[in-house]
Amino acid sequence: MPDQAISIEKLTFNYGRLKVINDISLEIPKGSSFGLLGPNGAGKTTLIRLLTGLLKPSSGSISCSGNPPSPANAKNIGYMPQMPSLYSELTVKQNIDFFARIYGMREKHQRFQRVDEVIKLVELWAKRNISITQLSGGMKQRASLACAIVHQPPLLFLDEPTVGLDPELRAHFWEYFARLTSAGATLIISSHTMDDAAHCEKLAFMREGKIIAMGSPSELKASTGKPDANLEDAFLYFVRLGEVTANV
Amino acid sequence: MYNMLTIAQRTITQLLRDPRTLALILIVPLVISSLIGYSMPSKDLLNSTLPAILAMLVLFFGFLLSGIAFLRERSQGTRERLMASPVSRQDILIGYLLGFLLFTMIQTLILFFFSIWVLKADFTGSLWQIIVFQILIGILAVCLGIFISAFAGNEFQMIQFIPLIIVPQIFVCGLLFPVDQMPIFLQWVSRFLPLTYGVDGLRAMMLQGKSLTNIGKDIGVLGAYAVGLMLLAGISLRRGHGA
Ligand SMILES: Nc1ncnc2c1ncn2[C@@H]1O[C@H](COP(=O)(O)OP(=O)(O)OP(=O)(O)O)[C@@H](O)[C@H]1O
Ligand SMILES: [Mg+2]
Repeated sequence: MPDQAISIEKLTFNYGRLKVINDISLEIPKGSSFGLLGPNGAGKTTLIRLLTGLLKPSSGSISCSGNPPSPANAKNIGYMPQMPSLYSELTVKQNIDFFARIYGMREKHQRFQRVDEVIKLVELWAKRNISITQLSGGMKQRASLACAIVHQPPLLFLDEPTVGLDPELRAHFWEYFARLTSAGATLIISSHTMDDAAHCEKLAFMREGKIIAMGSPSELKASTGKPDANLEDAFLYFVRLGEVTANV
Repeated sequence: MYNMLTIAQRTITQLLRDPRTLALILIVPLVISSLIGYSMPSKDLLNSTLPAILAMLVLFFGFLLSGIAFLRERSQGTRERLMASPVSRQDILIGYLLGFLLFTMIQTLILFFFSIWVLKADFTGSLWQIIVFQILIGILAVCLGIFISAFAGNEFQMIQFIPLIIVPQIFVCGLLFPVDQMPIFLQWVSRFLPLTYGVDGLRAMMLQGKSLTNIGKDIGVLGAYAVGLMLLAGISLRRGHGA
């Protein structure tokens, strides 16, 4: 039980009458990267917002390291929303510094050092004193990631972190994510690209609020029964499988 | 406390880094008060209407500034980020209040000192006490702005709220017509609107030379309104209800 970073049981969530999360149960072990994969509207963002405590479940339960999401354990969480959510007049550095402070990094010297470190990590050193309005889309995305990781949270929720990044930087991010998990952090990453999915240790395919399949990328590929199947094939395989069983 | 001040400092830095908005914050009160001052047919009329005009302008400017700024927190998505962070609702609301109060106070002082130095309006009563009371109106204005924008879903709704919240208060606060000559039901409405008490208190001080201790009722009502609005804004910022 304490080895699970997250365990979800029979979780459902409705927006009015729309069932957006439909009876999801899953466990995510500590120190792993977990990918949420699914088309637009599958419920990835909603699931992440439930996990961060921004939304309350309609039914079912969530526990993060043994406790339900609450302000008390919010500082152990890093959250990168899908839209780069930053203070547009402030500089890159001011934004990151602000989030570092509200996540409890009060000691100045240490904080400044860490802020500089993450700026270099997301390769925005040359732009550190420029306001957010003057950044390109991908740069905003990187600044947003920096704000989420500055306090070195053991549990990180990244909602489509690689959207709009060039291939080189994307590879670079994945190297960094791997370093985080090997240092013991747990990452929950949503995406709709199969390229991202391949990097995750474990994947959940989501569709219409349900998890239609779960496993490691190689397990999911193998279950199609075809030796040369890629993750895209695997996703479609499970979508069809769901339709067939639904029609029975 | 630390988080609250961090948020206050951030809101201030944000405005300081936006020179055009900052210039407007400083210039608009000057333009409006010159217009009012020089359009008055006589000095007596200026003297007698000034307290009500000041109270109204402080409410209007403070409401506008804090309301729009707080709304941007939602539209740019940072409110969602704040709500997922360890900061409490009190930190967010009071942090904002402190940040915006600084600018509202600057606007209040510009309005007041322009009236008495440049327009040479006369008043009785203690200068610092009058300023303290105006700052109280400023606090109320900021709370009102934060409250309305915590409830408004977007900028457009917020803009619609401005006439709805501000105009009725101007009409029934006694600025244009004496409250006791209004129909009974409007007198009742007037009794429930905070600007009425702002106007009443400022008039008592500036026209009759009363001190803060004489206008306890006005201070009490304005303070209660400010606290009440903050509590209501806090309800709309509950975790688990989206952002
Ligand atoms: N605030 C809201 N009010 C009502 N319905 C919503 C709201 N937010 C999302 N939904 C609905 O919930 C469903 C899931 O949305 P969600 O944002 O979780 O999808 P997603 O998997 O993150 O998609 P994407 O890949 O486009 O980001 C959609 O049908 C959407 O219309
Ligand atoms: Mg999404």
